[in-house]
Amino acid sequence: MRRSVKIVLLLAATVLLQGCWDKRELTDLLLITAVGIDKGKDTEYELSFQIVNPINVTGALQGGQGEDRPPISSYSVTGNNLTEMSRHASAKMSREIYYSNTNLLVVDEKLAKEEGLIKILDALDREADFRTTATIIISRGQKAKTFIRTLTAIDKIPSNKVNKTLQNTEKHLGENMKTSVQDVIKCLTSKAKHPIISSFKVTGNKEKGEKMENVQSTSPEAIVEADGLAVIKEGKLVNWLEGKTARGVLWLRNKISRTYLTIPMNHERDAVTFDVIRQKTKIGSHLKNGKPAISVDVDMEGDIGETTLPIHLDDPKVLSDIERKVAKELKNELQNTIDIVKRNKTDVLQFGDVVYRTHPEVWKKMEGEWSNRYFPDTDVDITVNAYVRRTGLRNNPNILNHREGRS
Amino acid sequence: MSGDKYPETVKLSGFVRPLLAENLSLIKEMTGNSSDIVIRKLKTGAGEKIEIAVVYVGGITDDKAIHDFLLESIMNSEELAKKEYGREVLETIASDAVALGGVEKEKRLDKVLESLMAGNTIILAEGTAKAVITTTKGGEKRSIKEPENQQAFRGSREGFIESLDTNISLVRRIIKNPNLWVEKTTMGSVTKTDVAIMYINGVCDPKTVKEVKKRMESIEIDSILESGYIEQFIEDAVFTTFPTVYQTERPDMVAGNLLEGRIAIFVDGTPFVLLVPAVFIQFFQSVEDYYSRFDIATFIRFLRVLIFFISLIAPAVYVGATTFHQEMIPTDLLIVIAAQREIVPFPAVVEALIMEISFEILREAGIRLPRAIGSAVSIVGAIVIGQAAVQAGIVSPAMVIIVAITAISSFATPSFPMAISARLVRFFFILAAATTGFYGIILGLIIMFVHLCSLRSFGVPYMTPFAPFILKNWGDAIVRLPLWTHEKRPELIGNDNKVRQGEYQKPEPPESGDMKTKQEDGDQNETKR
Repeated sequence: MRRSVKIVLLLAATVLLQGCWDKRELTDLLLITAVGIDKGKDTEYELSFQIVNPINVTGALQGGQGEDRPPISSYSVTGNNLTEMSRHASAKMSREIYYSNTNLLVVDEKLAKEEGLIKILDALDREADFRTTATIIISRGQKAKTFIRTLTAIDKIPSNKVNKTLQNTEKHLGENMKTSVQDVIKCLTSKAKHPIISSFKVTGNKEKGEKMENVQSTSPEAIVEADGLAVIKEGKLVNWLEGKTARGVLWLRNKISRTYLTIPMNHERDAVTFDVIRQKTKIGSHLKNGKPAISVDVDMEGDIGETTLPIHLDDPKVLSDIERKVAKELKNELQNTIDIVKRNKTDVLQFGDVVYRTHPEVWKKMEGEWSNRYFPDTDVDITVNAYVRRTGLRNNPNILNHREGRS
Repeated sequence: MSGDKYPETVKLSGFVRPLLAENLSLIKEMTGNSSDIVIRKLKTGAGEKIEIAVVYVGGITDDKAIHDFLLESIMNSEELAKKEYGREVLETIASDAVALGGVEKEKRLDKVLESLMAGNTIILAEGTAKAVITTTKGGEKRSIKEPENQQAFRGSREGFIESLDTNISLVRRIIKNPNLWVEKTTMGSVTKTDVAIMYINGVCDPKTVKEVKKRMESIEIDSILESGYIEQFIEDAVFTTFPTVYQTERPDMVAGNLLEGRIAIFVDGTPFVLLVPAVFIQFFQSVEDYYSRFDIATFIRFLRVLIFFISLIAPAVYVGATTFHQEMIPTDLLIVIAAQREIVPFPAVVEALIMEISFEILREAGIRLPRAIGSAVSIVGAIVIGQAAVQAGIVSPAMVIIVAITAISSFATPSFPMAISARLVRFFFILAAATTGFYGIILGLIIMFVHLCSLRSFGVPYMTPFAPFILKNWGDAIVRLPLWTHEKRPELIGNDNKVRQGEYQKPEPPESGDMKTKQEDGDQNETKR
C-alpha cells in the first residue's frame, strides 16, 4: 500500500511539477490580424502590425464603451530581418505578439518588385504560430503600412474585410483570386510555376483612412478595394494583369463560378449580357510533333441578364445565336489572355502542371526552360460551349412588346 | 455488541416463564418500560378465570387487525370459554380463535422480543411457558407515489416506498411468475432491518446469487439505515467515484433488470433498491428508452453520452482553449472572448473554479433549504451565476454560459450517482487543463477510461460491452435497436438461458394480396345514386 502511494505521488509530481510552462492568458496576448511588410528607409524592412482591440470590436455588446475608439491599433518597427523586428516590437507592446490569428500578409509593391518575396516568406514559413494559410496580397499604390492602418466600415477588422472581399469578388466576378502564403511558397519552389497574387489599393483620402471619422461617415473617405493581379516570377513581381485578362487567367484555371459576358448583336455594342451561373473548364494536353499542345474546353451555362435590343428571346434560333456569340466572345477573351501571358513568359495558367501530369517524361526535359522557351510557343486550342438556360423571369423584353403594339 | 446485552436474568434462562406476571415484568424490564409497548390483559377460559396478556408495540402494528381479529375473537370465542388451563387456552388461540394469517408458537424469550419489535403481537397466558406470535405488522406508511428522482414521461407512475413488503409486491405484480424468488434476512445487530434479495430463478446466474449472499452475510454491523449501507459494503471498487451498484426507485426498472439476469436487493425503510451487477452504460439508460420507439431512444442515448462528456470536460476545455490553445478558437470567437476576459481580474482557471464552486454551493443550498424559501435560492442564484456577476467584472459572460451548460448537463444525466461522480471528476479535469491544456484533458480521459476498464461489478467488467468488446450487446448499449432485434438477453449477466423472444418479429404490412384495394360494397358513407 505504502509503495503504491509513493508511485502515485511520483507520477503526480511528474505531471504537476512541469507547471504551466506554456500558459498564456488571453489578456497577455496581442491578436495580430494582419502583417504588412515595406521597404524601410534606412533599414531593409519596415514591419507593421494590425492589432485587434477586442473591447472596441465588440464594444456595442458591452454597453457602448469603445464605440468611439478604433477596433484596431497599429505599430511599425524597422529592422533588417523579420525576426529582429518581431523581437524589437516588444519594446512598443505590453503583450506577447500572437500570430496564430493572422489571416493577412500585405507586401508592399515596391518591395515585391525590387527584392521579391523569397526572403520574407522564409521567416514566415518557419514561425510556428504564423499560419501559412493566411492570404497574401500586394499593396498597390500605397505603402503596406498605410494599407494596414486604413479602417473599414462594415467589417470592423480590416483584414477580415480584405479576405471577405476577395472571396466575394472571386465568386461573383472572377477578376481577383485569394492566394495563400502557402500557395506562393509552393510555387516558388519550382521555376516553372508563377503564382498570382491579388492586389489591393486604398482609394480616396489615404491620410483620413486611419482616423475613426473614416468609418463614421456613410461614404468613407478612404476605401479599401481589390485591384489587379500581380504576377510573380522567380519571386519577384514582374507585371500586372487586370480586368478581362485577369478574369481570363481565372477562367483558364477553372476558378470562375459566376461572372458575366457582354456581346454585340444587330450591330449594336453591348447589346446582350449573358449572366454565367456555372462553368467547367478542362485543360488537356497532347503531343504535337514532340511538343506539348494544350486544349481548353469550356462548358458554361447562364441566363440572359439583360438586353437592350427588341429581340425575340422566346425564339430558340435567337437563343442559339446568342449562345454562339457568347462562346465566340469568351474564346476571344481567353485567346487574348493566353497571348498576353505568353508574351510575358509567365505560365500563370499552370499549363506546365497539365503537361507534367500527362507527359511527365517530356516535362522533365522542358521543366528548366518551360516558361521562357517552351511555354510561349505552345499551341493552345480553345473550344467553348455556351448554353442559355433561362432568360430570367421574363421572355421577351418590354421594348419589343412596346414596338409591336402590346403593352 | 451492545445490542446483545440483555439483563442477566434473561441470559440465565432464555425461555418464556410459566408465570404471566414474571413474563410481563421481564418484557418491561428488557424494553426499558418503553411507553409505546402496549400490554393488554384479558380474562378468558371457563368462568373467565385464566388471565392472558396481549402485548404489542403501538404504531408499528396494524391496530385494526389486533382489535377485529385478535381481541374481539378471543373475547367472543365459545371454544375458549370452555377451557380450564392456560396451556389449553393458548393452544386454542393458536389453532382456532385468531383470525390472522401468521400464527406461531415460541418458547425462547429473545425470539419473542425480536418479533415483538418487528411489529408482531404476542399472546401470553398464565401457567404456560410458551408465547403465541401473531403477524400484525402494519402501521403508518407512505402511499405509493411517483418516484421523485427517476421520472419518465412514459411508463408506470409507481415508485417504491419505505415498506419492504410493499416494494416486493410492486415487483411481483409486474412479474407474475413462481420463478421470481425472494430471500429475506435480517441485518444489523441492533436495527434488525429486513433485507431481501430478489432474482428470477433460471435467468440469473446462481454463482452471482451466491456471491451476493456471501458478501451480504459477511457484513457485521449494528445498523442498516438505508440501502447505501449495504451498497458500501458489497461494492467491488471503493476508491472510485463511479458507482458499481445501480440504484433505482422504479419497480419497472427492477423488473426489467431482473429479466436481464440481475439481482435486486431490497432494504426495509428506503425506496432505493439496489441492482447488481451494474455496468457503465446502464447509468445512461432509462426505462422510457424501451417504451419509446428505437430511433428516439437511440437519439436520446447519444444525447446522454454527449451530456456526460459536457458535464465532465466543458469547463476544462474552455480553460484549456483560452490559456493554452488560443489558435484552436476561430478568430471572431476569440476576439469576443478576449473582449470579455479583458476586464476580468482572474486567470481563466480561477474564474472557472469560482463559478463551479459557487454553483455547487447553490445546488447544495437548493437541496437543504425548506421548500417555502426555496425560491429565494433561485433568485440569489441567478444573481451569483448571472448578469450581476458579469457586471461586477468578476467573471466573463462566456464562463457563465459554460458553467450553466455544465450545470444543466449534470442535471440531465438520468442516474444521480453517475452525475455526481462526473461533478467530482470535473474539478480534476479543470486542474489538468489549467496545468497542461488539452494535453492534460486527454491524459485525464485516458486515465479515466483505463480506470473504468479496470472496474468490475460482481464479476462483470464495468465497461461491457465496449471492453470486453461484445458486439451482440451493442444493440442495447448506446444504440437501442428495435425491440424485435433483442432476441437474446445480454451476455455476461445472468446464466446461459439467453433466449428472450422469438426470432425475427419485425412488423410488416400484410402481402399485397391481402390488402384492401377497393372500397367494400358495404361502404355506407357514400349515398348511392
